[in-house]
Amino acid sequence: MSTLIKKRQSLLPGETGKFAGILSGFILLLAVLPILTMIVMSFSGSSNLDFPPSSYSLQWYKAAWHTFVSPDASDVLSLGKAMTTSLMVSCLTMVFATLIAVPAAYALTRCEFRGKAVAMQLMSLPLVFPMVVLGLALLLVFDSLPFQMTTSRLVIAHVILALPFVVKNCTAAMLSIGSEVEEAAQMLGASPLRAIVDVVVPLMKSGILAGMLLAFIVSFNEFTVTYFLYTIDVMTVPIWMYSRTVSSLDPTVFSFAVLIVLIDFVLIWALEKLVGEGGVSF
Amino acid sequence: MSGLILENVEKRYGSACAVKDVNLHLPEGKLVCFLGPSGCGKTTLLRMIAGLETLSGGEIRLDGEDIGQTPAHLRNFGMVFQSLALFPHMTVGENIAYPLKLRGVSKADQQARVVELLELIQLQQMIDRPVAKLSGGQRQRVAIARAIANHPKILLLDEPLSALDAKLRESMQVEIRQLQQRLNITTIMVTHDQREAMTMADIVVVLGEHRVQQVGTPIEIYRHPANEFVADFIGSGNIFPATVLGNGKVSLPGGDALQVPICSSIVVGEKVKMLIRPEDLQLSQPQATAGNRLLGKVTFVRDIGATIETTVECSGVTFTALSTPCQGVGLSVGHPVSVTLPAEACRVLGA
Repeated sequence: MSTLIKKRQSLLPGETGKFAGILSGFILLLAVLPILTMIVMSFSGSSNLDFPPSSYSLQWYKAAWHTFVSPDASDVLSLGKAMTTSLMVSCLTMVFATLIAVPAAYALTRCEFRGKAVAMQLMSLPLVFPMVVLGLALLLVFDSLPFQMTTSRLVIAHVILALPFVVKNCTAAMLSIGSEVEEAAQMLGASPLRAIVDVVVPLMKSGILAGMLLAFIVSFNEFTVTYFLYTIDVMTVPIWMYSRTVSSLDPTVFSFAVLIVLIDFVLIWALEKLVGEGGVSF
Repeated sequence: MSGLILENVEKRYGSACAVKDVNLHLPEGKLVCFLGPSGCGKTTLLRMIAGLETLSGGEIRLDGEDIGQTPAHLRNFGMVFQSLALFPHMTVGENIAYPLKLRGVSKADQQARVVELLELIQLQQMIDRPVAKLSGGQRQRVAIARAIANHPKILLLDEPLSALDAKLRESMQVEIRQLQQRLNITTIMVTHDQREAMTMADIVVVLGEHRVQQVGTPIEIYRHPANEFVADFIGSGNIFPATVLGNGKVSLPGGDALQVPICSSIVVGEKVKMLIRPEDLQLSQPQATAGNRLLGKVTFVRDIGATIETTVECSGVTFTALSTPCQGVGLSVGHPVSVTLPAEACRVLGA
C-alpha cells in the first residue's frame, strides 16, 4: 500500500518535472551552442576556420592582444578606436533613449488621449520591422540631409532600436505606481512636476535602470542597421569584427567576441541584480 | 463667513452627472462626514474640495476666498487617501517631513516637528523605519501625521479606515475623533459606514443619487430623516405606506388607523410613507386593539443572542421589531401578537 502511494507520488509531479528538465536542457543547449562554438574556435591552434579545430592554443588571444596594443598599418581602423566609438554610441543611446522613454511611459500610463493604442503599437514597430529595410531607409534619409552626420546618425538609429525595450520596462514600472501617491505628494504641496520627480521617478527606478542597461546592450551589439550607416572612420566593434573576418578570415575575432560576450554577461547579470526577479521585459 | 462654503457645486463627466446642486456650509473646527452608498458622488465631492478634480460648475470658498480654481498643491489641505498613499521609498520620518521639506523648512525644524508628531501618534521609535515594515494601524497613523504636518487649513479623509479590520477600525475611529478635537482642525471625512459617521461626526451630510439628501447632526439624521432615501440608508427602519386621514391620524393598508405626530405639510387623502425604527416597536401577548396597539402575526424570529429580531405581519405591512432577551415575550412563528407603534416614534416622511 505504502509503496503504491510512493510510486504514484513519484509519477505525478516527478515525471513532468523530468520531461520539463530535458526540454529546458535542450533549449538551453541550442541557445548556448553558438557561444560554445565561438569559445572553442577562439582557442584554435590552426590558422583557418575549420570546426572543430585540429589543435588548441592561445595564439589568437596573443594576436588579439597584439592588435589591441599596437595596431599595424594594414588595419583600416584600430580596435581601440572602434571600441571608443562603440562605447560612446552606446552611452549616448542609453541616455537619449531613457530621456525619451520615461516621459513616454508616464504619458502612456497616466494620460488618456486619442490614438493611444496606435502610439503603443508604433512604439514596438522597430521590433518587427526588417532591420535591412530600416537600415536602408535611414541611410537614404541621412544622405539626403544637406549636412554630414557620422556618430550622431548611429546614435539616432540605435535610439530608435532601443526605445521599445526602454519604454516597455518603464511602462511596466509605471503600471505598479498608483496615481494616489502622486496626488498625495500634490496635496502635501508638491507641484505636479515636483511630484513626478520626487515620487514617481524614484518608484520607477528599477524599471528605468533595466531599460538603460538594455538600451546599452542593444546598441553595443547592433550590427545590421549600423552596417548601412557606418563610415570608414566611424565604425563600431561588431562592424570592425565583421570587416576583419571578410577581408582576411581572421580567427582573432573569436577571441574578441569572447571578450564581448563576457561584457554582455556581466551587464545582464547586473540587470538581474538591479531589478530582481521578474522585473525585466525584453 | 468663515469656514468652507460650497455653492451650487457640480461635477459632470460628459453627459453623466457625478454630483450636482451641492450647497454646504462647513463650520470651522468641526468634523463633517459625507455619508452615502458607493457611487453617490461623495469621493468626487471630496476630491473637488481637495483640488484633485475640476469643478464643472459652482464655487468653493474658504474664509470668503474663492479657491475653486486653486491647484491642489497650493491649497494647503491635508489628505489621507483610501490607500493611504505613503511613499514606499521613504522612511516614516521622511514621509512626515516631506511637506515641510517642500516648503523649505530647516532641517532642525523638520526634525522637531516630526518628533512632535510621532509623539502625538505614539510611534516615536519608528522614525527610521521604512513604511513597508509597519502594521496597518501604524501606517494609518503615519498617513494622518503626514497630512497634518504642515498645519493644513482643512483635513480631508477619504474612507481612511476601509483597509483595517473591524476591531482596529472601531478603535481608530475614536482615536481620529479625539485627535481632531484636540487639534481643533476642520475635517471632512468620506465614508459609506454609517456607524463610523455616527461615531465621529459633528455634522453628517447624507449624499445619494448624486445630490445632498440631508445635512444634520448624527442623531437628527437618525431620528428625523428628511426623506425616504435617508430613512432607508441610515439604520434599519420599517418604511410603510399610509393614507392621511386628518386629525393626526393615518390609515394603514390593512385599514387600521394610527395616531401620528401632527405634521403641517401633509393634506388629507394624501398617500405618504411612514418610518418606525425596529427598536421603537413594542411587542406583547395578544390583547384587544386599542389606540396604536394593533394585532398581528409572527412570521419569523431571528434570535442572535444579544438581540431578538421579530418579523410581524400587521395590517397589511411587514414590520421588524428589535427587542432584548429580557424584554422577550416568548413569541414563536405563527402566533398572534400585539404590536404597539408609539405615536411619537412614527415619522411621516416628506414626499
